[in-house]
Amino acid sequence: MNLPGTATKAAKIDRLAELSVSSSDVRGRSLWLEAFSRLRRSPMAIVGAVIVSAFVIVAVAAPLLAPHDPTAQLWRGDVFPNRSIFVGPRAENPLGLDHAGRDLLSRMLVGARQSLMVGVVATLIGLSVGALIGGVSGAAAGMGRRLGRAVDSVLMRFVDMLLSIPALLIAISVAALLGPSLTTLMIAVGAAQVPIFARLLRGSMLAQSRSDFVTASIALGVRRPKVVVSHVLPNSLGPVLVQGTLTLATAIIEAAALSYLGLGSPDISRPEWGGMLADAQRFLGSAPHMALFPAVAIIITALGFTLLGEAMREALDPKLKK
Amino acid sequence: MQLRRFRTTTALAATAALLLTACGGVGDDGGDDQTFIFGVPNLPRSLDPIFANDGETFRVTRQVFDTLLDHESGGNEMVGGLAETWDVSDDGLTWTFNLRDGVEFHDGETLDAAAVCANFDRWMNLPEPFHNTTVAYYYNNLFGSFTDGESSTGNDFLVGCSADGLTVTIQLKETSANFPGAFSMATTAILSPGSLEQIDDGAFTGIDDGLPDYTQDVTGILAGTGPFQLDSWNHAQDELTLTRFDDYWGDPAGVSRIVFKAYDDETALKQALEASEIHGYDLVAPAHVAELEAAGFQVPTRGVFNILYLAFQQETDEQLADLEVRQALAAAVDRQNIVDSLLPEGGVVATQFMPDTVAGHSDNVTTYSYDPDAARPVLEGRTMEFCWPTNVSRPYMPSPRDIFESIKADLEAVGVTVQEKPMEWANYIPAAASGECPLYILGWTGDFNEGYNFLGTWFANHTDEFGMNRDDIFAVMQRAAREGDPDARAALLAEASEMIMDELPGLPISSSPPSIVFSAEVNPPNVSPLTQEKFDEVSFR
Repeated sequence: MNLPGTATKAAKIDRLAELSVSSSDVRGRSLWLEAFSRLRRSPMAIVGAVIVSAFVIVAVAAPLLAPHDPTAQLWRGDVFPNRSIFVGPRAENPLGLDHAGRDLLSRMLVGARQSLMVGVVATLIGLSVGALIGGVSGAAAGMGRRLGRAVDSVLMRFVDMLLSIPALLIAISVAALLGPSLTTLMIAVGAAQVPIFARLLRGSMLAQSRSDFVTASIALGVRRPKVVVSHVLPNSLGPVLVQGTLTLATAIIEAAALSYLGLGSPDISRPEWGGMLADAQRFLGSAPHMALFPAVAIIITALGFTLLGEAMREALDPKLKK
Repeated sequence: MQLRRFRTTTALAATAALLLTACGGVGDDGGDDQTFIFGVPNLPRSLDPIFANDGETFRVTRQVFDTLLDHESGGNEMVGGLAETWDVSDDGLTWTFNLRDGVEFHDGETLDAAAVCANFDRWMNLPEPFHNTTVAYYYNNLFGSFTDGESSTGNDFLVGCSADGLTVTIQLKETSANFPGAFSMATTAILSPGSLEQIDDGAFTGIDDGLPDYTQDVTGILAGTGPFQLDSWNHAQDELTLTRFDDYWGDPAGVSRIVFKAYDDETALKQALEASEIHGYDLVAPAHVAELEAAGFQVPTRGVFNILYLAFQQETDEQLADLEVRQALAAAVDRQNIVDSLLPEGGVVATQFMPDTVAGHSDNVTTYSYDPDAARPVLEGRTMEFCWPTNVSRPYMPSPRDIFESIKADLEAVGVTVQEKPMEWANYIPAAASGECPLYILGWTGDFNEGYNFLGTWFANHTDEFGMNRDDIFAVMQRAAREGDPDARAALLAEASEMIMDELPGLPISSSPPSIVFSAEVNPPNVSPLTQEKFDEVSFR
């Protein structure tokens, strides 16, 4: 989430976009097979994949795995926030209880589901809207002519403008505008990712449209729209997928941040890692375990997606090919 | 390495020393010349108490202005204030107050009966913009008499005030349960005649145009007889300073200055206290009490004088019009658990809409015990809307969110689907008052020791807050309101309280003492169940 300035951010995205060019002229094996075999050899990818798959399994199977009802105050007779009496990890509650006597382990597991859902849907929103803008822009630029360049230029200035606003700020504005709800949370986090995907796909399409096989197609008389749809676009998707994985990490963190700020799901008893963290803050002095577990979970999950994303980026990067 | 570490430590120590010095009075020990700094959530809305109806305003104006009657320090018994003794005629209509001799105002004027009557004359002659509860809440509710026009409340109790030396005689049209309590309300504090001459009530055009300038800054106009006088108001720093009035009629204040400093929220207040920026604050979150006590802060326990309730609006939600449903809801909520785990120590489950220390409290009301199994058959499968206020802490409700969550869990446990409606406090009160919310949590802190001050707040007539239509209860309440004899009134109120608990317009949850905290270096004032601490009792150890 560091913001080194729009220019560098945009440049970084464009560099990622260039991955699609040179990797496509690998002979023999397809781009994806090649990348996959490289991924399998990368320890970074393996660790990331293990974390991510563990997270996904937990999230999907949460209701089966959770030992207790995450919203029922089953042990509230054991917890007295007014006297700073809290219950930490113990045999029947491996992670302890929260301030209302609910099982923290169950809340963590079901919270994972919420995080995954928000992360995936938000990323899909960001990816599809961003890809639409980027695709149109890239196609228009690829088509050439004055009109194409104008469309590309207008869309990209708009995206640059969005890029110059910190993503979390966009998310907060959207959430504040629409009022707190789960849908809002997904839209807000997704909206913050739109400019990155747009810029990425457009850059990657531009790089593709300068490649030899595109020139060849055009020389053979294939019409430009067909070239864009069946050659340029499919070959530009690699970097977008890498970015999608990286975005999942950001999305999970941002969703947690918004929930923490009270802009998440309005149902306060429904567990969500960011919301749990916000709750824990009030009792930080006497019940640090309430903050510890959600915080660690957020960090590990974000780390998993980042590792996997970085490994994918490296695998697709021909310059790092051995 | 060693050297660098040493340097860092020195730098830190120096910084800490600088910070301490910059904090004004906290670090100094200059004997008598000491400043007591009290943290508050907000500074007064008006320095002239006639415009006010909130505790944070009165907390400040009480130190500056006196009332005819007062409450004993640390209790809720009525004692003399500016009046040393008082008497009431048999018909309850003529109140005679014998004022203290030799009481001086901050502006040098002397208190006499004429000065008191000048205040009553001012109130009665207030122009039309004042004739409603949004501007002068308490005057309209307690007296409501205007020479030119009527109060929006329909109240009209005052005939007039006559002065004879140090004897004030207040003539009433009707008796009311609000007397003598009304003479102790901070809003009816006695201002200097010199102040009244300078105040131009005719220039006030309405609340939309803002309150007059003299209420928003220290201008030298306002003078009272209290132990402290207004000194300065630093709006940029959110600090209001009072200084000791040396010619105060009682014992002189223990500190020479009080600063009220506003902070954003309870967490900020706690941090300010721990950083020695302030010497105390009110409405400590229960979860912080034990922590602060362990850290050496003083958290004296107040008496209990409030009610928290869960309201059932019978007209907004048809289900709640059914007595069986209301009874089932009462059985579904584990109130003891709320008291045990969420409210400050000393809290009790309430059996009716007034605490047991108030005359009018009945021991024979129908009580409802926690019995989820009995509630389930009636409530299972129902859906109910439930409003709760976010980001607020009230004396009777320290953490609305936790209390809401607890009740919600109880209702869900018996099969109710709860649709929650969280609202900001500013929107919550109007929503509850207009009947928008079927279920909501709210409460009340007593103004003075009078049962009618509790029951009358909700059940004197039909309100949109509850949507209760019981003319027989309203009739008993009206009789209680007009009953001058305290014992007869208590009997009527007890009868009303029993009828109300059979009707069950809402579920009284608890009475609990709000926590106030002071640092170890001060002798705290006697804490008051009415949350009316007298800060002249504060001194440094």
